[in-house]
Amino acid sequence: MKPSRVPLYTTLAVLAFLYLPIVVMTVQSFNAARYGGEWKGFTFSWYAKLFEDRSIWSATRNTLVVAISCTAVSTIIGSLAAWVLHRYRTRLQRLHYLVTYAPLVVPDILMGISLLLFYVNLKILLGLGTVILAHVTFCISYVAFVVLGRLQDFDYSLVEAAQDLGAGWGRIVFRVLLPVLGPGILAGAMLAFTLSVDDFVITFFVAGPGSSTLPVHIYSMIKHGSTTVINALSVLFMTVTFAVVVISQFFSRNRPVH
Amino acid sequence: MITRLGRWVLSRLRRFLPEWLLTAPSLLWLLLFFVIPSLLVFTVAFRPPDPYGRIGEGWTLDTLARLMQPSYPAILWRTLRVSMVTTLVCLVMAVPAGYWLARQPASRRHWTLLLVILPFWTNFLIRIFAWRTVLHPEGFLQTSLVKLGILSSNASLLYNEGAVLVVLIYTYLPFAIMPVYAAAERFDFQLLDAAQDLGATRFQAFVRVFLPSIQIGLLTATLMVFIPALGSYAIPDLVGGPSSEMVGNKIAQRVFTDRNLPHASGLSALLALAVILPMVIAMVVRSRHPDKVPVEREKGGPREGGAQG
Amino acid sequence: MESILEIKTVNKAFGAQRVVRDVSLSVKRGEVFSLLGPSGCGKTTLLRMIAGFERPDSGSILLDGTDVAQLPPNRRQVNTVFQNYALFPHLSVADNIAFGLRAEGKPKIEIQEEVHRMLDLIRMHEHAHKKPSQISGGQKQRVAIARALIKKPKILLLDEPLAALDLKLRQHMLLELDRIHDEVGITFIYVTHDQDEAMSLSDHIAIMNEGVIEQLGTPAEVYELPKSRFVAEFIGDTNLFPGKVASVEGSDYCHLEVPGLGKILAYQDRPVAPGENVTLSLRPEKFNLSREKPTVPSIQNLLPGVVDTIIYMGSETRYVVRCGEFKLNVLRQHNRCLLEEKPITWEDSVWLTWHADDGNILQSTNGTPATTPNADSAP
Repeated sequence: MKPSRVPLYTTLAVLAFLYLPIVVMTVQSFNAARYGGEWKGFTFSWYAKLFEDRSIWSATRNTLVVAISCTAVSTIIGSLAAWVLHRYRTRLQRLHYLVTYAPLVVPDILMGISLLLFYVNLKILLGLGTVILAHVTFCISYVAFVVLGRLQDFDYSLVEAAQDLGAGWGRIVFRVLLPVLGPGILAGAMLAFTLSVDDFVITFFVAGPGSSTLPVHIYSMIKHGSTTVINALSVLFMTVTFAVVVISQFFSRNRPVH
Repeated sequence: MITRLGRWVLSRLRRFLPEWLLTAPSLLWLLLFFVIPSLLVFTVAFRPPDPYGRIGEGWTLDTLARLMQPSYPAILWRTLRVSMVTTLVCLVMAVPAGYWLARQPASRRHWTLLLVILPFWTNFLIRIFAWRTVLHPEGFLQTSLVKLGILSSNASLLYNEGAVLVVLIYTYLPFAIMPVYAAAERFDFQLLDAAQDLGATRFQAFVRVFLPSIQIGLLTATLMVFIPALGSYAIPDLVGGPSSEMVGNKIAQRVFTDRNLPHASGLSALLALAVILPMVIAMVVRSRHPDKVPVEREKGGPREGGAQG
Repeated sequence: MESILEIKTVNKAFGAQRVVRDVSLSVKRGEVFSLLGPSGCGKTTLLRMIAGFERPDSGSILLDGTDVAQLPPNRRQVNTVFQNYALFPHLSVADNIAFGLRAEGKPKIEIQEEVHRMLDLIRMHEHAHKKPSQISGGQKQRVAIARALIKKPKILLLDEPLAALDLKLRQHMLLELDRIHDEVGITFIYVTHDQDEAMSLSDHIAIMNEGVIEQLGTPAEVYELPKSRFVAEFIGDTNLFPGKVASVEGSDYCHLEVPGLGKILAYQDRPVAPGENVTLSLRPEKFNLSREKPTVPSIQNLLPGVVDTIIYMGSETRYVVRCGEFKLNVLRQHNRCLLEEKPITWEDSVWLTWHADDGNILQSTNGTPATTPNADSAP
């Protein structure tokens, strides 16, 4: 029986749809014409302009500060959460699970506005600190579920074997748990980092003056019409992300699976 | 008596302390920064605004009264409609694509899958901006369509509901494909052989065997697209016009333009209710095990009652 | 009996790999026909071509006289019981059974009656409303059979139907399959890699290897008179004696010179000539084992040996006996209580005898080298 062609053609259409804007934008970033109705010659001038823009550099710095601190905190808290969720089956953990799961399904805008109301109520000044707190909050859940996914395959008898061989909890954590769960925790950390760098809506609500991250900065550039360098900025941004994703995929493929 | 109680407390402590200590960081963090703020959304709606853009003292029903004005139900309805259309289109595209991906040999599947999710890893705003470039009045799409005579030169591809839909679909399509693919990957394709062996056509086999088998994937895909679509703000803000505003835009306007936090809070509470409803439905459906969901129901008539006798 | 299925020089290749090569066979109406072979021998591909999931590259498949080789599976009057049952997980037992008739658009009353009849046949009325995940492996098996039989196929194809079951259940299901076959009288084509299943169930067995049918015959024929070394070794245990024809004795017998063992007398199934390289196959149970040297007629072979290993298995005992440069597998059934005898033990000197008629000279097709001793009987 010959397989149907419909699935193949749909997939090709989906891929074309997904890559059309990316290709257009990349071409446009080298186009001397502003809006790309026509090709007015190849140019690097948008990239040159981009590097002269100091506000972009400060937004990039903010983004990295937020992403790194958020990744560090949320990876630790999230991994711990995954461990207790996996290890204990109590009523407390059922509540814990619900509270950890909910941030994954609540729309960003609700999370943004509710945190804003929270800060305003407590009269906390908006700044980089409030952004980091917000990012940690949604990253904990993502890290927890990524690590929890890896824990499904984790054989608890490894811990019992280590205890049987006389290891204390310190040794168990550093010699057994971390090496075995390392790839899962790393995957969670990478997801947290990417989500933090990527987040716009929540950050937009809780960022104060001077604490703009790159996405917030891009938004205000689009809004205020200074769009000429965004194509170039986007292509750079994209190249870095694609490279990181492809490289991490490549490594995760060659790494022995636990 | 005291010592007995003390011993009991001690034994409970020894038993539960490790769990409590390990649970505390994440649970307390989420209670403080997620649960309490979420509840605030519902209470602040009953506070008056203050002239400095903060939250005033006392309680009031003003916000609630203003939400009854006819323009709000219209926006809420548009939000629902746009989200439903987005979800539907995403599912229609995701089912064949997920099917195709799941049937690829394992060696190729890895890279085709990566190809599908790669655009999702680009920044959200960059994707929106890319679509603005594509749909721009002076961009290549509009100029070529005008040249071909398909579009009049004063028509606009941008700043309308169509543009909002295209970008919403673009943004959430990977979220629909992944769960459908995950369900299709667990599907035993031999069942399609079995259905054809029993006389079903290819289309009958697809509808009566494949679709019911991936229903959990379809449900997840629906939630993953529908719920964030309901809360869209940046997409209608950047590619939509005044006639395609969604609830998210109104919330942001109240916060950043009018500086009326109680009003924003009331709108958010409304949105939260709209989000909770489909989730409750999904939870009810899912809590009944897929085994118990009667899928092949004949219209009217007894369900093979004779066979069960 | 007329044949219901005729397969004529069917070929199938996947890429450069020829999975089925020039296979021809015919299946009689109402019989159980087994395709037996190791995994990758092409038996499943052949079955899938009969079912319609694969199209042959060349050759014809005649079902009741009409060529169906190019028809899709839903237009052939042939139904399949899949290896892992392939029951639809979202449908109840009754709905699974009804699936085929619903696809045809049969009236509801008729479907109900037929499903009822099938539940009778497989004795599963009390489970009719359960989902496949709620019933046992053996029950799934029966549902899969009923689901296929309800279509009243001309042939029921069974693809390793018992492979997923444990031993006890497998034996039970064999009896059950036999009963169902007797009751419905439909032709079964049974694919398996398990010789016991094939032997106990079939009227005819085709033994496949590397895409070719090595031998086709009744269970007794393929066991007692294997044509090739592959068949001899695949069905049951055997001892292989590679040797050279030393002399021909009359029209029925010949003497073989087996290096490392000596001269043995063998029945010649086909005419052989002195000097020809041949291999003799001798089943372990054909030996007679005794401690004292027996007096035997000249038609029997007699060899001295030493017991190397003893494996007691309850109903029988396996011995490995060193004999010249060979280690022979000998099987001895316990017709009498073993404990009463003075048992044969390790390193005992024993005598092996067997009737010349019990050995079978293989037809060394495709020039099976008769000089390399097989691993089992090698020195």
